[in-house]
Amino acid sequence: MANIEAEALDFEPEDDDLMDEDIGEGSPNRGSASIPRLKSAITGGGSSAPKKTKGRGFRDEAAAEADRNARMAARFDSLDSDGGPGPERSIEGWIILVTGVHEEAQEDDLQNAFGEFGEIKNLHLNLDRRTGFVKGYALIEYEKFDEAQRAITEMDGTELLTQPINVDWAFSKGPFRRRNLRRRYSFKKSI
Amino acid sequence: MADGEDIGEFYLRYYVGHKGKFGHEFLEFEFRPDGKLRYANNSNYKNDTMIRKEIFLTQAALKECRRIVAESEIMKEDDNSWPEPDRVGRQELEIVMGNEHISFTTSKIGSLMDVQTSKDPEGLRIFYYLVQVFLPVQSFEGFLLIYELNSVVRHLD
Repeated sequence: MANIEAEALDFEPEDDDLMDEDIGEGSPNRGSASIPRLKSAITGGGSSAPKKTKGRGFRDEAAAEADRNARMAARFDSLDSDGGPGPERSIEGWIILVTGVHEEAQEDDLQNAFGEFGEIKNLHLNLDRRTGFVKGYALIEYEKFDEAQRAITEMDGTELLTQPINVDWAFSKGPFRRRNLRRRYSFKKSI
Repeated sequence: MADGEDIGEFYLRYYVGHKGKFGHEFLEFEFRPDGKLRYANNSNYKNDTMIRKEIFLTQAALKECRRIVAESEIMKEDDNSWPEPDRVGRQELEIVMGNEHISFTTSKIGSLMDVQTSKDPEGLRIFYYLVQVFLPVQSFEGFLLIYELNSVVRHLD
């Protein structure tokens, strides 16, 4: 299957260098050409103005899209959840996301602040590879749902190292509803 | 925009791949506006099979992704003078954010030296570091939502 794709895909960049100019400023025809895909595949039908487009990826868009669809068409493994709202369980427990983490925070700071809700099974505090400072978020995994829920309830909106933090679940059982999908939602409810 | 409200349109897709003696090998991931995160990794080396996983992020997690992208200022860049994709490989970065839609392509970047010797080191550096954040395989401590995704779904195998 992948080999067939490889046959179809040919990385030949030099077909039309003149195209660079009109892509740069997102000419009207380029912009409108990209709308259908945006609506259908990317933004899920959200109502919005035409996008300003930029980049060589718009050059041979039809071929690129066909290729991408071929790659992404096959079935994706997903968790056997009901797809409804609510947090998704991880392999060892429940993962929460802390945002607004101070750039000079250390793992110990998070351990101290979040350890009181239960044993922390995993803690990831990512660094910005360019600056060496904390990227701004942390992922914390608890074994029990109640521990994670308490951490969220008690820590969300508090301060860590004088900086306000937000705490929430990292993964969800299903998609979250966006404002511009409300119509579909109310339709479903009325059934 | 207020917390907990719609974070605005956000879509991100990254692809890196090449065709070689093991066929079309690539890694691709995609963050969709409803929180769906899809990840595909196809390596034919030693008959490895395609890995395709998907999971849903919470709105909070997607919002954090959006913040990281916004702060990188990648949307201000242009791939005009970046190295063209070639036989060695191809990278694609497509992002929709607010009213802007970028779709950049370039060759594989082996190291920061490639960035520095390019015609647009400033722009390419932003691309390079942003991809590092989101790339789970090459940066082990990289973007952990995907790392966690793999842990989360591993028990399905």
